[in-house]
Formats: sequence, structure tokens, C-alpha cells
Amino acid sequence: MGGTFLITLREAFEAALLLGLVYTYLDKIDARQHFGWVSLGGALGLAASIAMGVTVAYFSGPLVDLGPDVIAAAVIFLAVILLTWHAWWMQRHARGISGEVERRIEHARRTQRLWMVGLIAFTGVFREGAETVIFLWGLMAEATSAAGWGSVAAGVAGVGSAALLGWMIFRGGRRLSLARFFTVTTVLLIFLAAGLFSTGIGRLQSLGVLPMMAPLWDTSWLLSDSSVVGSFLAGLLGYRERPSPLEAAGYAAYLVVVGSVILGGAWRRPQPATAVRAGASR
Amino acid sequence: MKVLAATLATVMLLAGLALVPLPAGAADQEIPLTIEKNRFEPAEIKVKAGAPFVLVITNKDKSAEEFESKDLKIEKVIAGGKTVKVKVPALKAGTYKFVGEYHEATAQGRIVAE
Repeated sequence: MGGTFLITLREAFEAALLLGLVYTYLDKIDARQHFGWVSLGGALGLAASIAMGVTVAYFSGPLVDLGPDVIAAAVIFLAVILLTWHAWWMQRHARGISGEVERRIEHARRTQRLWMVGLIAFTGVFREGAETVIFLWGLMAEATSAAGWGSVAAGVAGVGSAALLGWMIFRGGRRLSLARFFTVTTVLLIFLAAGLFSTGIGRLQSLGVLPMMAPLWDTSWLLSDSSVVGSFLAGLLGYRERPSPLEAAGYAAYLVVVGSVILGGAWRRPQPATAVRAGASR
Repeated sequence: MKVLAATLATVMLLAGLALVPLPAGAADQEIPLTIEKNRFEPAEIKVKAGAPFVLVITNKDKSAEEFESKDLKIEKVIAGGKTVKVKVPALKAGTYKFVGEYHEATAQGRIVAE
């Protein structure tokens, strides 16, 4: 029963984290009226998860064998692109924050493509959603006894706890200053996307698109992916107990290239608004 | 920066598209693997190194199971009572562990490529 709770908590964690972040983000830029985009994205993600779960549970054949893996890999890379885009965008707006917050917010609202935020919510929910649906479905099929229904309850409680975690991120994020929230989230998203990128590479290896390789190291004795701490680190930072050389290289390359492009800008001062203000005060 | 982001996006999209024309590999050997009472049968599978193969995994339990192998980078959910085929690329000689993620205490096995 405890295992069931942890499994669904683990599967729903990433979705909750992303939903919490994008809701907070919209709240921060004073665009609460656009919460609907996130809710719509999340709801569509849930619907797609259920559709996929039902398909896999009721049908079989080569398309059902391979299709979900290809879709999963595509969703992973789509999520990497979206998160990279969003992190880059946020960092651009977090620069020179000393200035007029309201103008920046106004600019953010005008230029941000809000459907992108909705799409982030969609990929966040859909990525592990189908698995959670099939898992809970199986539990319900088995639940003929009181203990069985206890497992179902534990599974639902796991998803609920993940949602609570997302809510806490929302509450906590609202208290941070705009600048700090943008910076913290940007860094978090870069790590998250780096981890996803390496997961995607691993999927391509298992699909035979990229060559299979022996793991570069094995730290399963130290910190297992499936332990509570390990799985949270896997979700947040992309921790792997036995990464292939390609996965590790992809992770490092993403961090170095994207990290320096996005965060590197933070140390420059190209913000025209800041320059003008600096000139005026002289 | 925008150009860079767009380039990055394009590269990744292409990587995604590379997935579509997957080789059929009709002649790959099929190896059965059964899940029953949250255990794998057989728990050890011997395969030839260097030749891709197909695992035909049948879940005889009512509950779903996730075939997961960190070594093979495979995660595949198999709903209760279903059979799923999983293509495994050519492996170097060695031992590759797998587990049933939903019942990790009992569902364990390994593939030995030689």
C-alpha cells in the first residue's frame, strides 16, 4: 500500500511541479485571467493520458506496441523545447530587474505566448499520465477486497499529495519577489530540461535510433533512482544511477550550452531601459 | 538569441522525426516472458550478443506492471492480461537487469547476452 502511494506520487510529481510553476508564473506577471490556458492544457493532458491508457489496456498490435514509445519520446523532446524556450524567455525578463516592475510585467503580458504555457502544462501531465492511468486502472481491476480498495485509495492519495506539492509551490512562489522567482525558476527549468533531454536520449537508445552503450557509472548502491530521494532528484535534476555515456554527455552538453546561453545573458547588461535610466540619474 | 532558440528547436524536431521511419526488423527472434503473481518467468533470459531481439511480454496478472530496465533504457507499461512486444536493440555481451517497477520486491530478472 505504501509502495502504491509512492509510485503514483513519483509519477505525478513532475506534472505537479510544472503546473505549480506555470500557475505561479502567470500570477507573477499579473495574468491570472489566463489561468484557463494552464487548466486547459492540464485537462487536455489528462484526457490524452486516459485515451492512451484505454488504448493500451484494450487494444494490441504493432502500433500499440511501438506507438506509445514513439509518442513518449516525442513528448519528451517537445517538453525540452518548451521548457528551454520558457526559461530563456523568463531570464530575459528577469534581467535588469531593479527597474520598473510594472512595465516589465506589462511587457511580459504583451509578448508572452500564453498558449506555450498551456502546452507546458499539457506535456507535464501527459508525459507520465498514461502510466498512472494504467496503474490505477489495474489496481481497480484487482480491487475485490478491502485491502485492494486500500491500494486504490493509496494510489489516489499519491496523486493528491503530488497535487498538494504543486499547490505548495504555488503558495511559496507567490511570496518570492518577481526577480527571485524568475531566477530560481529559470535555473530549475534548465536542470529539469537537461534531465529530460538525457531521458530522451535514453529513449532513442532503447528504440534503436541511437546505439546502446554500457553504463558510464553505477551509483545504485549509493542512491537508487527508485528511492524517494533518488526519484525526486531524478525529476528535478535528472539524476541517473546508471547513465549511458550518451545520456551523460547529452546532459552535460545541454547544461553547458543552454545554461551559458540563458544565464550568460544575466551577467551582461544589454537592457536598454536600464541604460537609459542609468544615464538619466547621472 | 531567438535564432539560436529556433535552431535548437529545429534540431530537436529533426531528432524527433528521425524516429518515424523505424526499421521493421521482421526477422528478429521473439523471446517470451511472462509475468505471473508479480514475478517474471523465466527470471533469466539468455540471448545472443550483437543481435537485436523482441521480448514478448505477457502479463497474466490483473494488475498492471511496468517492465523497466535501467540498463536497457526501457520502460514499458503492460496492462493486466495484455501482451506487449518490446524491441530490444543488439546488446554487447553482459548482464542486463530488469524489474517490474510496480512490484519491485518480487518482479526481478535479467537478460544475459553472450
